[in-house]
Amino acid sequence: MRRLGALLWLALVLLASGYLALRLHDGLGFRTDLLALLPREEQDPVLQRANDAVTKALGRRVLALVGHADRETARKAATTLGDALLATGQVERIGEGIDVDRLKRLGALYFPHRQSLLSDGDRALLAAGKGEEVATRALSQAFGFAGLVDAGLLRNDPFLLLPSFLTNLPFPLSRLTPDEGMLSVTENGTTWVLVSAVLAGEPFELDLQDRLVGAFDAAVRDMPGVTVKRLGAVFFAHAGSKTAITEASTLGTLSLVGTILLVGLAFRRPGPLLHNLLALGVGMTVGLSGSLLLFGELHVAALLFGSSLIGVAVDYSLHYSASLFDPLSGSPSDRLRHVLPGIALGLVTTLIGYAALMLAPFPGLRQIAAFSIIGLVGAFLTVVLWLPSLDRARRLTHGAWMLRAAAGLWSFWEARRWRAVRLVLVLGCALAGAVGLARLSADDDVRRLQAVSAELKHEQDEIQRLIGATTAAQFLLVQAADDEAALRRQEDLAATLAGLKAKGSIAGYQMPAAFVPSARTQRENRTLVATALDGPLLAAQRASLGLPPADPNDKGPNKAPEGVLTLDDALAADSVPFLRELVLGPGLHVVALQGLSDPDAVRAAVAGTAGVRLVDPTADFSALLAKYRHRALLLTGLAGLLMLPVLIWRYGWRGGLWALLPPGAALILAPAVVGLMGQDFTFFHAMALVLILSIGVDYAVFCAESGVEEQPVTMLAVWLATLTTLLSFGMLTFSAVPAVHSFGVTMLVGISIAFLFAPLAARGTRHNETTNDARLL
Amino acid sequence: MTRIVVFLLALLAAFPALATETLSEGQVLRGAFVQERFLKGFQAPLKSEGRFALAPGRGLIWRTEIPFAVTTVMSPAGLVQEVKGNETMRLPAARLPFMSKLYTMLGGALTGDWKALEDMFAVERGGGADAWTLHLTPRRADDPTMPIRAIDVRGGRFVDEVEIVKPDGDRDRLTFRDQLLKAEPPTADEAALLASAGRS
Repeated sequence: MRRLGALLWLALVLLASGYLALRLHDGLGFRTDLLALLPREEQDPVLQRANDAVTKALGRRVLALVGHADRETARKAATTLGDALLATGQVERIGEGIDVDRLKRLGALYFPHRQSLLSDGDRALLAAGKGEEVATRALSQAFGFAGLVDAGLLRNDPFLLLPSFLTNLPFPLSRLTPDEGMLSVTENGTTWVLVSAVLAGEPFELDLQDRLVGAFDAAVRDMPGVTVKRLGAVFFAHAGSKTAITEASTLGTLSLVGTILLVGLAFRRPGPLLHNLLALGVGMTVGLSGSLLLFGELHVAALLFGSSLIGVAVDYSLHYSASLFDPLSGSPSDRLRHVLPGIALGLVTTLIGYAALMLAPFPGLRQIAAFSIIGLVGAFLTVVLWLPSLDRARRLTHGAWMLRAAAGLWSFWEARRWRAVRLVLVLGCALAGAVGLARLSADDDVRRLQAVSAELKHEQDEIQRLIGATTAAQFLLVQAADDEAALRRQEDLAATLAGLKAKGSIAGYQMPAAFVPSARTQRENRTLVATALDGPLLAAQRASLGLPPADPNDKGPNKAPEGVLTLDDALAADSVPFLRELVLGPGLHVVALQGLSDPDAVRAAVAGTAGVRLVDPTADFSALLAKYRHRALLLTGLAGLLMLPVLIWRYGWRGGLWALLPPGAALILAPAVVGLMGQDFTFFHAMALVLILSIGVDYAVFCAESGVEEQPVTMLAVWLATLTTLLSFGMLTFSAVPAVHSFGVTMLVGISIAFLFAPLAARGTRHNETTNDARLL
Repeated sequence: MTRIVVFLLALLAAFPALATETLSEGQVLRGAFVQERFLKGFQAPLKSEGRFALAPGRGLIWRTEIPFAVTTVMSPAGLVQEVKGNETMRLPAARLPFMSKLYTMLGGALTGDWKALEDMFAVERGGGADAWTLHLTPRRADDPTMPIRAIDVRGGRFVDEVEIVKPDGDRDRLTFRDQLLKAEPPTADEAALLASAGRS
């Protein structure tokens, strides 16, 4: 029967290995953005779409400033860098798209509608009846120093309304000025030339990151003396994934080597070591191939957390192998029969914990849970089906001192002479728990969860200072029935925004209505031009300029058409830079904000305006994290409740509750220690609690299953299991990624406490009469 | 278009160096000008007249008096245009990308260093010391952003006439007379105007 099972399992493992090999051969696609671990917001699809579109557009931007004291050197270096980026094939286009060609198209788009387009200043002057001033300005430009005006324009637009409109268009990147086709800024004798690019793919694709950042770094290396500053999600993502991958391999290796050393030293035999490695290897293989089969791809974090599975998967084989130290141990099958209830129950409770993780709608966490569940079942089946048949080991006799030492913990909780210490310990824990929990505060800011390279952050600040305000991740979303209504809404909003700009809450803004005014405004403008300029002043203006009187019947190509410029025309011509990014759909527009320093003021200022709201993707994610932090705590409670019936079925009411005591204590004390350390409690601390419960209950079950005579052997197994768990999860404490570090710290503290209190789980079980008689305090 | 402005400033300052007089800081060159713009489709050239004051290192004041009063002030900090005391245009130096480069050019030309100017233009010299001519053509004529086809300059002790030909054939002609070089600081009025261009 077991033989058949073993063979079936072998077939399945081979199949899984084959699948994994195939996938590895094709090259694995890993996702690296932390946000992909988070749930998609489902409540408001419009908001979600706007959020995605804007975040994506921002995320794909790459900016670099190339600086040198010599203008030509800086310009050449900028061209070289742009070409190098383009050569990677990962870049859609280089430059802001403000080239001569585009400016010509921009002029061609606006020229026929020059009578309908007025700058804000001109509009105000005309409305105030100060048409004279507009006319004088045009004359001063025509006659003034060096004659700034093109003759053809002056003939067709004698009041020079179009140049005024064009120069007042709100283009971002305020401190940069066009210099022979390149945007640049000069400061303290250094000329900085802008190189901007738009990625062809997502900044979180590892392959794209490597190729783009590699080409960038190589190009910069070949430009001695040139200073290059960079800005873009892809650089941050690249630094982040480099850290994650280095850590995953360093911490993973340390964890593996540590575990091997530990097992080798404890058993001093190759057999148990090989058995443990086999269980581990099979667990990892089926876990990895299973989750690849389920999800198609894996997140780097799933790999990082998943590799920590080493510490849990090895528990079952360790428990089996540790029975070699039992003086009463018999054949391998006997030993398996002996530990089977413990590890089976341990598996069931752990799976309940991971299943709770599956309930959270986090794609990344589901991956971690699936990886772990499949891996743990794999390790368990390997122990049960294979190890007894492979086992040729004899009873081990060298472990006497280890058994005595291991049993020390048990006697600490039993022996009368330790009562005073126990009392102090329990009271101390209670006090620490109370103080720690009282001091614990939550922080859900998503920005604090990712490791941000200080150097990149510094370069980003420098760029923002040099080129002026950059576009904020936050934006205003304008929703209306159609484009015209949305444009009107923005025009109504313009005064509010100007006020915010005057107060310094924002440095600037771009809205579609600034590039294409609503039909209402365009008609008003035409009326204004006709009544305040053309009517009273045109004849005199033409005479002053020496132009022949206007021909009222002129129907030539330069005569403005009756219609208005529509948003669709402007979008179709693709001549207005940035406009495409601002119009998400009919009636759904974005107002981009630059240099946002006071989001609350902006939020408050637009609060009363229907169809307009400030969207803050970062704050939304943070709010989401807070929601799911609460949910993770609920999941932990739920997992505990689900485990209880299993434990009660096995140990009765009293025993079941005792078995839950050690993990329960860990669940309370781990967050308390986090509070005492002065750390804020985050979603990732909360998720660690689910695992502490699952693993802690394993130790409790092992102890509860143990008869009095086996206590030393059981404790040795639990010692080894704890140490391997700490070697894996505890290692995450050293991660540079705050989210992973938080997880690691919680695990380190929680698992240590669950281990420390584990022997208490044995009270209340029927076969531990002596233990039941001992007094806790 | 700002390029032309700055460029003329450079020219005005540069050419005395070519002639017998060399401008230096602490001096002020004052004179009268006539500016004629020959534009296609216009019946007559747009003609303006006025006076200018050039203070090396501080800037240029260009006061148009006929057909009406417009004052343009250029300084290292930027450009300002005023009509009857009302500001009609203001361009801070940060928005004039060539500003620093052309100031280098100007400074160089003042001290007899022609390299910066000759980098951008091919220079043909003619005539003698008392009546010289210059013909400048851009080295990169194919650059669509280059707004000048050619510049012709005629002078003696100072620059007497500058003609700028645009790519589309329009021409601007500047004629100078009554030029007087004085070693004195700008008047209070001039100093106030020059300072006004520095406000951002």
